[in-house]
Amino acid sequence: MSRSAKIFSTIVILVWLLMALAPSLLAPGDPLAINPTEAFQKPGLAHFFGTDESGRDIYTRVIHGAGDSLAIGLAATALGMGLAIILGTVAALSPRWLDEVILRVLEALYAIPSLLMALLIIAFTGPGVGPAIVAVGLSTAPGYARLVRSQIRNLKNSEMLEAATVLGRSNWLKVRNHLIPNALKPLMALVTLGIGQAVIWAAALSFLGLGTAPPAPEWGAMLSAGRVYLHLAWWMSLFPGLAIVAVAVSATVIGRALGGKVKSL
Amino acid sequence: MSQQTLITLKDLSVSFDGAPAVKNISLTVRAGQVLALVGESGSGKSVTARSLLGLSGGQVSASELTICGRDALNLNDSAWQKIRGNTISMILQDALMALDPLRAVGREIGDGLKEHSSLSRAQRVQRVHEVLASVNMPDPELRAKQRSTELSGGMRQRALIAQALVGNPQVVIADEATTALDSQLTALVLAQLRALKDQGRGVLMISHDLAQVAHLADEIAVMRHGEIVESGPTAQVLNHPQHEYTRQLLQAVPSGVPRFAPLSITGAPRPSVPERQTPAGPLALSATNLSKSFGKHVAVAQVSFELPQGTTLGLVGESGSGKTTTARMVLGLQKPDSGTVDLLGERFAPLHEPQRSQLRERMGAIYQNPLGSFDPRYSVGQLLTDALSGGKSKRDQSYSQQVDQLLEQVQLSSKLRSRSPRELSGGQRQRLAIARALAPKPSVLVLDEPVSALDVSIQATVLDLLDQIQLETGTSYLFISHDLSVIEHMSDYVAVMHQGKIIEQGTTASIFGSPQEDYTRKLLAAMPRLR
Amino acid sequence: MGTIAWAGRKIGGALVVLWLVATAIFIAIRLIPGDPAEAIMGGPGSQASAEALAAARAEYALDQPVFTQYLLYLGKLITLDFGSSYSLKQPVTEVMGEVLPNTLWLSLLALAAAWLMALCFAAAASNAGRFGSWLGNLLEIIAAAVPHFWLGAVLIMLFSSALGWFPAVDNGSAQGLVLPVLTLALPLSGFLTQLMRDSLSEAMGSQFALAARARGESRLTLFWRHGLRHAALPALNLTGWAFSSLLSGAVVVEAIFARPGLGRSLLSAVLARDIPMVTGIALFSALVYIVVMALAEGLERIINPAGEQR
Repeated sequence: MSRSAKIFSTIVILVWLLMALAPSLLAPGDPLAINPTEAFQKPGLAHFFGTDESGRDIYTRVIHGAGDSLAIGLAATALGMGLAIILGTVAALSPRWLDEVILRVLEALYAIPSLLMALLIIAFTGPGVGPAIVAVGLSTAPGYARLVRSQIRNLKNSEMLEAATVLGRSNWLKVRNHLIPNALKPLMALVTLGIGQAVIWAAALSFLGLGTAPPAPEWGAMLSAGRVYLHLAWWMSLFPGLAIVAVAVSATVIGRALGGKVKSL
Repeated sequence: MSQQTLITLKDLSVSFDGAPAVKNISLTVRAGQVLALVGESGSGKSVTARSLLGLSGGQVSASELTICGRDALNLNDSAWQKIRGNTISMILQDALMALDPLRAVGREIGDGLKEHSSLSRAQRVQRVHEVLASVNMPDPELRAKQRSTELSGGMRQRALIAQALVGNPQVVIADEATTALDSQLTALVLAQLRALKDQGRGVLMISHDLAQVAHLADEIAVMRHGEIVESGPTAQVLNHPQHEYTRQLLQAVPSGVPRFAPLSITGAPRPSVPERQTPAGPLALSATNLSKSFGKHVAVAQVSFELPQGTTLGLVGESGSGKTTTARMVLGLQKPDSGTVDLLGERFAPLHEPQRSQLRERMGAIYQNPLGSFDPRYSVGQLLTDALSGGKSKRDQSYSQQVDQLLEQVQLSSKLRSRSPRELSGGQRQRLAIARALAPKPSVLVLDEPVSALDVSIQATVLDLLDQIQLETGTSYLFISHDLSVIEHMSDYVAVMHQGKIIEQGTTASIFGSPQEDYTRKLLAAMPRLR
Repeated sequence: MGTIAWAGRKIGGALVVLWLVATAIFIAIRLIPGDPAEAIMGGPGSQASAEALAAARAEYALDQPVFTQYLLYLGKLITLDFGSSYSLKQPVTEVMGEVLPNTLWLSLLALAAAWLMALCFAAAASNAGRFGSWLGNLLEIIAAAVPHFWLGAVLIMLFSSALGWFPAVDNGSAQGLVLPVLTLALPLSGFLTQLMRDSLSEAMGSQFALAARARGESRLTLFWRHGLRHAALPALNLTGWAFSSLLSGAVVVEAIFARPGLGRSLLSAVLARDIPMVTGIALFSALVYIVVMALAEGLERIINPAGEQR
């Protein structure tokens, strides 16, 4: 990964954090303010990203929407990754039979694609932000769990740990000195990638009408609203989408720079 | 009668993106003769060989390159294609990798014919069978339909040679054709090369192993850092080397060198019969009836041996003989199905880790590729501090002096303390591994192929270092290798392993001087000797 | 292992997976607070009529002990009786039968398109040296980060609104397929390209490639005879996962382009909390994944019977 890509990504992430934590600094207006006379304005000086069908300023909504996306993305990743790390580590370090059982369960879960599983969960819980978090978290967990398991297994069987055994290190010392520190970096990479993916999934759910309810300025919901007016007001869809893509790309770039490999759609 | 000259090369220089790899190389290959190009890694011998096929991949210049009467300078790729396989061909190193594992070997071999002749499909198949038969492949029709992964090691080698011969080339280049092969396969390949020579072809043999080329080559050219430092008829180069590097290389070959005679020109001179430390007391290691099977496959069967303190027991065998599994059982990394291991008179295996953790510091291990055994986050200094502190700390400065002592003992500069092991050369890494293993002052070291991945001259320095340490501290070694000449040089006692069993064991002199078993005799016969 | 033994293992595994999914759904239904009959028929507080609820209670034997219900439930699934869709008032299997072909067709086309594009990109990238490498990295990142719903919108903006080449909404024509297929295929192809590129460049730089050139093969022949197979292998390995992610993407794509299909039906079913429908689709997609995986694995075994990693 080139330096410029890493710098660019870091800047995007910082801007995103700023948008999420202090949106008023970048966009002093009210994201919910309706102004029917200004509906469907093209992007310009008055409205950087144009306005939507109710005259709301899209730029302001995109900036303020960052908080929602960040919250959902982080929460879902925490849930999904947390589960994945626990399951994966247990599977990797446990005796053969337990490992097999967990592996079979994970494979079964893996048989249902992420979005479908998320939809299934929502079918049982009903739509909303909370269910969206649970759905995204649970549906991405099996895939990550498999990755975590294989990473830890590789470490467990590595020559490095064997050498430590020969030097007489206890299990505790081996875990503390070698296993955990070497597992952290790939896990961090995975988590970073995961946040990028979670933001996309959450937006997808909102896009389908199953996540955040309007008129909240969540990016996926904005895309959904904009879809109807695509021919008329393309800016309603372009900018929220760009925001999602920018965040996801940056997270992916940083995750890859940390050593992760991308494998998800 | 002078032999017909097949290849004349003068002043070859090859560079990659401006960095020169090879300079002013001149050589001649004659019909019915073998020219050996000898050098260590990075010497440029492979680049030179590939330039003769136009496959070096770099920027090439030469004042003359004539191949079988044709001028081969400045040929474009399609002109080269007509020569390759036809006039001049190459046998590569690893038969498993040099044949596409996804295609039948018959197709791989037949491809050469497709390029160069207008034979019909049936005729090609016929020719492939003929060529396989000519290299003594049993059952050629059946084998031609199989992939390289389905063939045994010997058959794979034959297929590999066949694919170089199918176009009936006048010159054959063997690029490290015997590296990474066990002794039987090596003998097979060398025999085939000899046959090629007898057929009147010209053979260019690339190797790092002087002992192997000694018997086959008519001429030797020694390469180093991209240049030929010495060349001439074999007898002359081996017996009266002119260049310092050639002498260094010759001295480094362990073949026939007596125990403790130095292989390299490092460190203090040693008396020819040095004083050895043989502490009294129990055996350093004693293994009794060790056995291990993986499913149906018997890896180790009833292996027993003794290692007296202060001595070296060499465990020699081909790959798959069970020596690594035995080593792992001795180290307690693998639980034996049956049998026991005693370390300095105390039971070591099979035991649970907590019961033997006290004994651990008396035994250390050295691996073939040490990099994998280092935690990638640790620097050289930290690795040693960690070893000295029993894993409690990697930064504690109070160990600093001991770290320096260890580094000195293995002849590593203390300037390397802050470096990562990744930045070290192969020889330096192995020294680091030795230093780390010595930190707890063990009585026994288990060394599994410790020098197999090193160049001959580096190997020499590491072997000398190991000898030095044994003389100074009386550490006992269990030395495992497939290389007979290294074992002969380093060991006081030898145990020969084959298919999981110890076929024969005894003192080095008795095993190498008067072997009793057939297998041992075969093994020794296949061993290339320089002296 | 022998082919029959292998097939047996696959079928066994499939049954286990399906059983696990069905059981999970069964448990999930029981976890919904309130009246299970309501839960099946549109969720708590559903508007279902009294007769519908009574019929549901009878059909699912809701007054029987839980284990009996479970066995009955499994029994019905085995006979492919998924019950009736609450929202559509049709047997689930009928509804699925109607919309299935659309989605399958879409996914298969997208899979083929993605493969084709990936092969071309991979071949081009491996010839273009450092620039190709950079481009390949870029493509892979985009593939991972560009969501279907946005890509579809962008493609519509470009090719439909601006250029007017392809329709934005399904009108039954072949042209109507182009944008949806592209939307599905592009992200997947970015990912496949990277995979293929890795193994292609590994193959082209390997010892057997060198040996082949030493025999007189040209670079092009080398690619055809050797490179292609090696490039395709890891992609084949992941085809099962790729197809299931296509099904997943189809949900979004069908929504964007207003196409009837399994995805749209699932979406409506989820919104209406129509459990029988959801169950049917879930089990079906698990089945599809397993079948596609098995087919891909079978193909892999043909190309690479030794199971080598290259």
